[in-house]
Amino acid sequence: MPEFNPVQYAVPLFVIAVLAEMIWAKFRAPQAYEPKDTLVSLLFGLGSTVAGALLGGFAVWAFFAAYEFRVFDMGPEWWAVWWAWPVCFILDDLKYYWVHRAGHRIRWMWAAHVNHHSSQHYNLSTALRQTWTGPLTFGFLFAVPLVLLGFHPVMIAICGGFNLIYQFWIHTEAIKRMPRWFEAVMNTPSHHRVHHATNPRYLDRNYAGVFIVWDKLFGTFTPEVDDEPIRYGIVKQLGSFNLLWAVFHEWVGMISDILRAPWRHKLSYLLREPGWSHDGSRETSDMIRARWEQRTGRGAALQNSVADQNRIAGAQEAA
Amino acid sequence: MSLPPLLVQTAGSLAAILALPGLAWWLKLGGAPLLADEAALQSAASEVADGFEVCDFALSRDCTAALVRDSQGRIMIIRRHGNRFAGRILGTGACASVTDAGLSVDCGERRFGPVHLDLDEPQAWAEAINRLSEGLDA
Repeated sequence: MPEFNPVQYAVPLFVIAVLAEMIWAKFRAPQAYEPKDTLVSLLFGLGSTVAGALLGGFAVWAFFAAYEFRVFDMGPEWWAVWWAWPVCFILDDLKYYWVHRAGHRIRWMWAAHVNHHSSQHYNLSTALRQTWTGPLTFGFLFAVPLVLLGFHPVMIAICGGFNLIYQFWIHTEAIKRMPRWFEAVMNTPSHHRVHHATNPRYLDRNYAGVFIVWDKLFGTFTPEVDDEPIRYGIVKQLGSFNLLWAVFHEWVGMISDILRAPWRHKLSYLLREPGWSHDGSRETSDMIRARWEQRTGRGAALQNSVADQNRIAGAQEAA
Repeated sequence: MSLPPLLVQTAGSLAAILALPGLAWWLKLGGAPLLADEAALQSAASEVADGFEVCDFALSRDCTAALVRDSQGRIMIIRRHGNRFAGRILGTGACASVTDAGLSVDCGERRFGPVHLDLDEPQAWAEAINRLSEGLDA
């Protein structure tokens, strides 16, 4: 069985790439970096590795237990089944799309994933800003169908490692657009800037890992527009460089909401979208976008453009 | 003696983690933006709460923090955070006190911390903020 962790080999390249981007920033965009923010993001990355090693054991056990019940068997030398690798990579990326979407739409998952979004900067160090508390969510369950299909847990882990490595380079403002064919199929810096933006039009969009086609397929794609500066971070910016607060703030908020809520609403604070409240005192991303659309009239404009692009019926008949 | 791979990787990563922010500091990346004019204030306020239209404001002399108010009477505190701005719309947990240096505003979130503004006439803003905790209109 191969013992190979691609991320381990990529770490020196990550460091060199961050160095190169800092030199770019020096001459083109000095505001792209903030030393304290960079330090916090990199400590997130280090802590994430340690937390994964300490807390990831249950998920590994669950994967190997599930593998015993696989539908298809690739044999004892599963790593030699060449076609399984690209199939696994694509299916793992589809899995990533859904686990990532859940990470934004279920507060329990968001409590862990918010760590990746809480920087007000968007640079290669942001890519390394990974959660410490992912193993405390049920995200690993999204990979179980792949295991049950017959993909070995190690194969899935290697594909997931390459997926993570791909996503590193798209966390930059140094690249404006890739060639059109590439932008059409692959996740790119432009598409992922949208994902990290707090501008109402961009909230909860572009969940893709490697292939942007999943967003186009499942209706969550929004292209970057050139005439609106992007604001990065989270709707309620942290306003603090305290590492432990950055790691646990959403867990603290969620648990205190659950404790304070009436019994019939407690589960909703765990499983509904971030920003939901039983008394309507807060705003979800959908509510913020709806208010923005109403205020700017963009909603009608967007609907018109979608209708224009998807002509099902003629002008006289209702579609 | 061979060290565990995780320990070696952690030590190497830690060295890089300390070196890279140090390099960013040495390259003078970041900067210190100011709330230099009304447009900058409006931009910062819109980032804190989309659609917030500034109709009244008090800017700290050093241009690093401000209080802004919209037509609905909502009061927002904005302060520099690193080389960006962060803020909060003040609610019932907020309080303010006049100090020798001007005004100290606490939004009620310990981690956001108190914000100190060097203002000419802080009294009216202090009263408006303290009325929020009494559940009265500002």
